[in-house]
Amino acid sequence: KEPPPGAEAYIPQKYPDNRIVSSKYTFWNFIPKNLFEQFRRIANFYFLIIFLVQLIIDTPTSPVTSGLPLFFVIAVTAIKQGYEDWLRHKADNAMNQCPVHFIQHGKLVRKQSRNLRVGDVVMVNDGETFPCDLIFLSSSREDGTCYVTTASLDGESSHKTYYAVQETKGFQTEEEIDNLHATVECEQPQPDLYKFVGRIHVYQERNEPVVRSLGSENLLLRGASLKNTEKIFGVAIYTGMETKMALNYQSKSQKRSVVEKSMNVFLVVYLCILISKALINTILKYVWQSDPFRDEPWFNQKTESERQRNLFLKAFTDFLAFMVLFNYIIPVSMYVTVEMQKFLGSYFLTWDEDMFDEETGEGPLVNTSDLNEELGQVEYIFTDKTGTLTENNMEFIECCIEGNVYVPHVICNGQILPNSGGIDMIDSSPGVSGKEREELFFRALCLCHTVQVKDDVLVDGQKKSPDSSRSCIYISSSPDEVALVEGIQRLGFTYLRLKDNHMEILNRDNDIERYELLDTLSFDSVRRRMSVIVKSASGDIYLFCKGADSAIFPRVSEGKIDQVRSRVERNAVEGLRTLCVAYKKCTQEEYDEIHELLHSAKVALQEREKKLAEAYDQIETNLILLGATAVEDRLQKAGIKVWVLTGDKMETATTLFKVLSKDEDLAFIFYVSCRLSNDLQDFGLIIDGAALSLIMKPRQTGSSGNYRELFLEICRNCSAVLCCRMAPLQKAQIVKLIKLSKEHPITLAIGDGANDVSMILEAHVGIGIIGKEGRQAARNSDYAIPKFKHLKKMILVHGHFYYIRISELVQYFFYKNVCFIFPQFLYQFFCGFSQQPLYDTAYLTLYNISFTSLPILMYSLMEQHVTSDMLKRDPSLYRDIAKNALLRWRVFLYWTFLGVFDALVFFFGAYLMLENTTVTINGQVFGNWTFGTLVFTVLVFTVTLKLALDTHYWTWINHFVIWGSLIFYIIFSLLWGGIIWPFLSYQRMYFVFIQMLSSGPAWLGIILLIIVSLLPDILKKVLCRQLWPTATERTQVKITFLLYNYWFYCWNQKMRRAGSHR
Amino acid sequence: MAWSATSPGANQPDNTAFTQQRLPAWQPLLSAGIVLPLFFCVGLAFIGLGLGLYYTSNGIKELEYDYTGDPGTGNCSVCAAAGERVAPPPANCTCQWCFSLSELFQGPVFLYYELSNFYQNNRRYVVSRDDAQLSGLASALRHPTNECAPYQRSPAGVPIAPCGAIANSLFNDSFKLLHQRLPGGAYVEVPLDRTGIAWWTDYHVKFHNPEPINGSLKLAFYGTAKPPNWPRPAYDLSPDPNNTGFVNQDFVVWMRTAALPTFRKLYARIRHGNYSAGLPRGAYCVNITYNYPVLAFDGHKRLIFSSISWMGGKNPFLGVAYLTFGSLCIVTGFVMLVVYIRHQDENGEDEDE
Repeated sequence: KEPPPGAEAYIPQKYPDNRIVSSKYTFWNFIPKNLFEQFRRIANFYFLIIFLVQLIIDTPTSPVTSGLPLFFVIAVTAIKQGYEDWLRHKADNAMNQCPVHFIQHGKLVRKQSRNLRVGDVVMVNDGETFPCDLIFLSSSREDGTCYVTTASLDGESSHKTYYAVQETKGFQTEEEIDNLHATVECEQPQPDLYKFVGRIHVYQERNEPVVRSLGSENLLLRGASLKNTEKIFGVAIYTGMETKMALNYQSKSQKRSVVEKSMNVFLVVYLCILISKALINTILKYVWQSDPFRDEPWFNQKTESERQRNLFLKAFTDFLAFMVLFNYIIPVSMYVTVEMQKFLGSYFLTWDEDMFDEETGEGPLVNTSDLNEELGQVEYIFTDKTGTLTENNMEFIECCIEGNVYVPHVICNGQILPNSGGIDMIDSSPGVSGKEREELFFRALCLCHTVQVKDDVLVDGQKKSPDSSRSCIYISSSPDEVALVEGIQRLGFTYLRLKDNHMEILNRDNDIERYELLDTLSFDSVRRRMSVIVKSASGDIYLFCKGADSAIFPRVSEGKIDQVRSRVERNAVEGLRTLCVAYKKCTQEEYDEIHELLHSAKVALQEREKKLAEAYDQIETNLILLGATAVEDRLQKAGIKVWVLTGDKMETATTLFKVLSKDEDLAFIFYVSCRLSNDLQDFGLIIDGAALSLIMKPRQTGSSGNYRELFLEICRNCSAVLCCRMAPLQKAQIVKLIKLSKEHPITLAIGDGANDVSMILEAHVGIGIIGKEGRQAARNSDYAIPKFKHLKKMILVHGHFYYIRISELVQYFFYKNVCFIFPQFLYQFFCGFSQQPLYDTAYLTLYNISFTSLPILMYSLMEQHVTSDMLKRDPSLYRDIAKNALLRWRVFLYWTFLGVFDALVFFFGAYLMLENTTVTINGQVFGNWTFGTLVFTVLVFTVTLKLALDTHYWTWINHFVIWGSLIFYIIFSLLWGGIIWPFLSYQRMYFVFIQMLSSGPAWLGIILLIIVSLLPDILKKVLCRQLWPTATERTQVKITFLLYNYWFYCWNQKMRRAGSHR
Repeated sequence: MAWSATSPGANQPDNTAFTQQRLPAWQPLLSAGIVLPLFFCVGLAFIGLGLGLYYTSNGIKELEYDYTGDPGTGNCSVCAAAGERVAPPPANCTCQWCFSLSELFQGPVFLYYELSNFYQNNRRYVVSRDDAQLSGLASALRHPTNECAPYQRSPAGVPIAPCGAIANSLFNDSFKLLHQRLPGGAYVEVPLDRTGIAWWTDYHVKFHNPEPINGSLKLAFYGTAKPPNWPRPAYDLSPDPNNTGFVNQDFVVWMRTAALPTFRKLYARIRHGNYSAGLPRGAYCVNITYNYPVLAFDGHKRLIFSSISWMGGKNPFLGVAYLTFGSLCIVTGFVMLVVYIRHQDENGEDEDE
């Protein structure tokens, strides 16, 4: 339908259809697109170049040697991605083809979901999911509401109430809906699930069109499903890829771990080594060849075309050929192994039974496995208090009305005294006006909230008797509110429900009072308060406001501020969460003004947020203070024990925490750092949001950062810092401040609420608690855990393991490839720099793929250098790996030099052994392939045994892969050399391995060379352990000592028993 | 390629030893207590083994002679000068090396030739062969692989068999050993066993002549050319019909390219008749047919008589290495013992803490 004449200019827009395409590829573009994606990775591209060089120019090794591993890597990744994409295709199809009811010419029509267009009116039944983003027009419920669960969107399983547009909620049947004539204006699609700004014009015959503002409460999101409502009508507004759900598919920015960064640096180093090796060899080759009889001796002449080739071209080709020969120093398989290690390793986290929460039935979630090892590097932890450190299970403790304190009386078995006798008057009993104020206070608490009554109670039962309604179940996004409403219930006022925009409460006399809800000024974390405007049955209009003391007191003009403040402060010192309540009575004229103000702000299409905030600010003034409440939020059990990390600071931190936990937005920083020294006095720093914003604000003079640095300095010298009353952005600022400080420490942020998301995204590792405040934090985090206490095991055990595993993986990979390639480099000096490979093609290809791949992969999945119990018990072990300790330059150089040493031993050992002599009993001599095979055999055994030396945790799997790969190598070599392979153009390896094994000295030489190469490492290990033991090594010794004692004890017992039998 | 794992979460994870990372495991520790005895044991064992190897190697006799023929060194210099920097080498030239043994040269004795500065391991040289052709495949015989270039086809375009640089540069000096049993007596030729010098598998499995046509190997080679440096085609390589063509012992030995630029190759074994126990005392002369030019590339040719033990030829390296390494182990063992005892107390205190 066209909008009626007179409406604003209408430009037809192009809307996408309602197809959801989450798949990346189609059948046709899979191969090109996937290959393109894969070769965009720098490593894959490098290997592709090497492969192409091998194809184009005459290179020493066959293209197979690098083509096969590359193909393997690409194929494995492509298959995995293809499979995932196939699954997505299936899911997309299922979604796009699912039937949708929608209205066409007053009739209900069934169509496939993908045919839906913007502007179609859709009917959704109970339990169905919404096919696209809909503006909620009408519902089968009289009050024009519906209940929706957004579990599949953000994981919140609670039912949320959505409201139909006021003007259209009467359109109940298909025919009526068909007659509706309206236009909707809305903002461009954006991914924020909780924000929507729009406007609807409803054209009624004769009348002026009615304009209504549309907010997120009118927008039913695709993916959410309808609950407890028979059916609803809605008009499609965002379809297909423009729905908020689809927009949220886009991935977050990538975080990189320190290990990955060091790995890349090492790679660059190795690339330099590679290039310099190739350069050196090329230059030496031409120096050496300057004698013509070396370049072209009579027995090895060149073809005519070779002779005529340009010298520079020849030199360049030689350089490339050397690059190809040595390219294995940067192995393709390292990337695959690292990816597999991270991917598979992260399962150990999700599988961990200790981190499974029985209550909620939730285990840890791994949203990205790229940061596993970063968990072992954390130096600063930023945590949110509410719900993270505490259980987020609030209990109403007391309230204070004009200085009089009321405590709900609780009887031991949880039952509540039936009537108002349950109030202890601590102060003198209030006067008549006091009584009025008191009731007003209770009513204020009963009305000023966004709590919902659980629906089942309302739908199932008939009119409830007053008693049974006391057991109403309240649901709210904020547990404070539930605690307050339940607390007030105990004090005699029960909130029943919101019906037809009227809130019903049951007062002390068991009468139902009805208040019309005129406006809600919703809570936000900047204002830190919320208000409702209600009209009582008698026609009085009240504004009730509830909020943090600091947010209320400045706006209060009347009331016993001092008494309330002192009480609030006392409660805060005891660690209770306090809220103040105030009210304002308005006349009808005043209300009309307010309403106008709010309406204009709400209808605004631009800067609605800002305008609303201004309006709220204007409205919530001149309040009269009623009183304050106090709610207790218990600390999570065992959660605080992680503070053991900070050494003896547990008491300090706990008391600090107790004293200062008065505000809900409180971020708490503590230190895992190794910078603990016993003589240093412990300091704690407490700072609140207001002060912090002063610090963070750049100074007018332009010399910003002065305060920041000072603040940073102070913070770093404190063992614990508490920042209270923080806005979400400030939390992120603090994290950033520490993150970018001089030492670039690794930060971890943990939180459970939407207000922690910015902090979680900012920190190196973000952890979300799968908590009561919804799933926002968990969805945006890198890892999600059910309880704060699980953080301890996550960091101390899993993080530690991941870190030592991956650092060994990285170092070992470089080491084993130095060992592999350096002999080739040395060999060039003995073969006239002719790029003759030392090893056979099969060995070159399979070395990284099969001979030495599995042991390190399994090591990097299973290694436990200290038992997990020990790691958990002794947090000081965490210091051993702090600051990327196992990937420092010193360690890297050690590994590299060890690799070079081993390579020298292999090469010159074999050289001296086979030089100018025969090692067989029948006097026959060996050729160059035997020489290479000898080196290669020593190499495979040495690098595998080196890993065996590093393994501290020998499960049967480790035994299997380590001895298995050695046996596999032997069997492969026997087979490879045992048969004339018909498909090969050369038979150079025929019987080489077997001939080698038939020689006694070859065996003796292999054994000697293996032991000589391993010895320095053993020596270094033993000496370091003896002279400069780390905490980890001490612990290992201790454990072994205990074990020996135990065995000795057992053995003694056994002997004694055996003796007594005799 | 960001791989991520998510678990269902809603279900209790499996409580198996594997998923909980509690598989039973052996947790060895490389502590001084274990390593010290190990060092001493390894050290002693290596010294023992080293001594054995050293004496075995020392017991092996070697007699070598450089017959390159540098100017003024023996009578081979004439031949060398004649063939200097000429390829292919000129026709047969003979020279002689005479020596005398004052005692029995313990057998079995093996005769080797050694070339130095000869890069058989040059890449272009190593690949310059066609294994399919050498395995007697008829198709490959007439279509040698491109790797053989420039020894793939003769200038007339006829395929070369055997193709390639390795075959072309076949070592073609020959030696005859003469023994004068009694001073002033006649020289008797010592029988040189030219069989069994190549790997059995190479000779019997890897190398095959093309199928003879009408019983004639010559016909089988019809349509191929000899390698340019060879004086005669492959089927005439040796008068012995069982040792000619591709399955010629010398040829097979030569085709196994050496690892290093200085290399030895087995020429013959001396094990027949009176010489099965070794070379008895007396005067000997080696008649050398000098064909192979080495001065062109600054090379050297040597002739070596060597006896063989269970560990092969003379090579002191293994024995010395074992000895050195064994003593090193013991020395380090003592150093570590000192360190261990010194730091024992500290560690002991630590454990008490």
